[in-house]
Amino acid sequence: MTITAPAPVDLPVDTTQSTSPGPKGRRGLVMTFVLVVIALFWISPLALLVITAVRPLADFIGNGPLSWPDQLTWSNFKDAWDIGNFATTYKNSAILAAIKVPLGVLFSAMLGFALAKLRMRFRRTVMFTVFLGLTIPIYITIVPVFIMMRSLGATDSIFGLIGPYLAFGIPFEVLVLQSFFRQIPDEIIEAAKVDGAGDWRVFFTMILPLSVPALVTVAILDAVATWNEFLFALILLNSDAHKTIPVGLLNFQGQFANNNTGLAAGILIAVVPILIAYTLLQRWIVGGLTAGSLKG
Amino acid sequence: MATTVAVAKQPKRGGRWSPWLFALPALVVYVAFLVYPAVSSLWFSLTNWDGLSATYKFVGLDNYFKLPHDPVVITAVRNNLIWTVVTIAVPTVIGLLLAIALNGKVHGKPILRLIFYTPAVLPLVSIASIWGWLYNPQYGAINSFLRLIGLDGLAQPWLGQDSTALWAVMIPAIWLRTGFPMLLYLAALQGIPNELYEAATVDGATKWQQFWHVTMPSLRPAHYIVLALSLIDSFKVFDMIYAMTYGGPGTSTQVMGTWMYFNVFQYYQAGYGTAIAVVITLVAIAVGIPYVRSQTKEA
Repeated sequence: MTITAPAPVDLPVDTTQSTSPGPKGRRGLVMTFVLVVIALFWISPLALLVITAVRPLADFIGNGPLSWPDQLTWSNFKDAWDIGNFATTYKNSAILAAIKVPLGVLFSAMLGFALAKLRMRFRRTVMFTVFLGLTIPIYITIVPVFIMMRSLGATDSIFGLIGPYLAFGIPFEVLVLQSFFRQIPDEIIEAAKVDGAGDWRVFFTMILPLSVPALVTVAILDAVATWNEFLFALILLNSDAHKTIPVGLLNFQGQFANNNTGLAAGILIAVVPILIAYTLLQRWIVGGLTAGSLKG
Repeated sequence: MATTVAVAKQPKRGGRWSPWLFALPALVVYVAFLVYPAVSSLWFSLTNWDGLSATYKFVGLDNYFKLPHDPVVITAVRNNLIWTVVTIAVPTVIGLLLAIALNGKVHGKPILRLIFYTPAVLPLVSIASIWGWLYNPQYGAINSFLRLIGLDGLAQPWLGQDSTALWAVMIPAIWLRTGFPMLLYLAALQGIPNELYEAATVDGATKWQQFWHVTMPSLRPAHYIVLALSLIDSFKVFDMIYAMTYGGPGTSTQVMGTWMYFNVFQYYQAGYGTAIAVVITLVAIAVGIPYVRSQTKEA
């Protein structure tokens, strides 16, 4: 998942306009119908999950997974919440994101600023080295990271995850931010310099405020990635009290293998924050993901 | 004002050290937790370390010579290749078709786009859970659906048998990965000037000819980004396989990533496991370099 340079999206330009108005309307309706049918199939796993989560297990087993529920209940959510230890895993994931995301965005913005707007020696070498991180699989690092964290006494603690999470977030964040910063005109920076502003003041009082859309996009995508990360959390966290949502969900899946409705409720509990955040912020995410990636 | 112009023409900004002060926090973290571990894995791959003992021995390239004789590695390489081809080709084609459809005269575009992109934001582990649940042989929706439409014979333990397990894991990966190319192609399609189509129509080009001679060439930058990023992503596959099949049944769905993990954390062969990781990382870097270079070019 990566981007290059931000640019406006969502222009309602229609490239398939035909000249005769009659068939256009009918074709549009047919196409809409086809897409709605595909969309219903596409979303059906999530729809089934919701329907199953709100019905009693007996009702599910008696009538089958594709039936409409006879009875509704909230108890699946309560059971899943308690047994799945979600109060703890939610808290851990939230603390982790609250520390990691602002720190990652700040560090990446600083490096991005140096790459885009300061005369930095070895600039291209630094860029190449950092962007190369996009291609490196996490699992090449797990053995040394595990040893490092053990010697620091940071295994089985969410704080031990912060370093590796920051490192693997940096390539993507720097890539997006530096290309955004580059579009900020040099003239306004020069003007500020003439007024006696140093690099730090330029960065904090001009670059960051002008870049809010890019910063928000990067922060959202980073929060989603942090919330979803699995491998480091799997190897570094042992005790239930320190697990994050993805690792907790995996354990929960094992425990609830035969309780289909409880499992559905648990999966929903785990994904609801992401779904809400995504629905509310989708314009930012869509903009950020597609932004200007077309320069090639 | 004259002074402003004069200063603006001077290219010099920042002292010699200032850029490095900005770069330092990110670079320190990046080197400490990504570059250094990745490089030191090269060293571990040349040892017989078990992952626990205080001592281990340098064994040279022995671990690498062992790779081609390990039947699971053969399976894993094959699975990685199948995985890469299928999880790039299918989502790209579906994503392109959806983008073209959504770019036409269609009602409810925002909600349709939202639906097709939603799987892409879900945690991989939750996607694995959802599909594991759908594939349940007895109470899963997929077998129930087949029975409902009278295809009882096709109902089977999708994740529980060698012949179907890998394909069954690829379906959720496709579900998850179609949204991104769709969004990129949608943005790219909106950037194609209408005049190109008008000119083609004047020249008497059919819709099909317009697609091949106007749309596809105009989408070349988008194709490049989609393919480069998919390729980088596909090589890293781990979470989905681990969470859905644990490499099984038997070793039928092992990929290099999971086989590395099992060697390190289950079979206490950290040296050998790391060698597996080194091989896949070198391949991933090699395929990723053209993309990285394109992003490093001066704008």
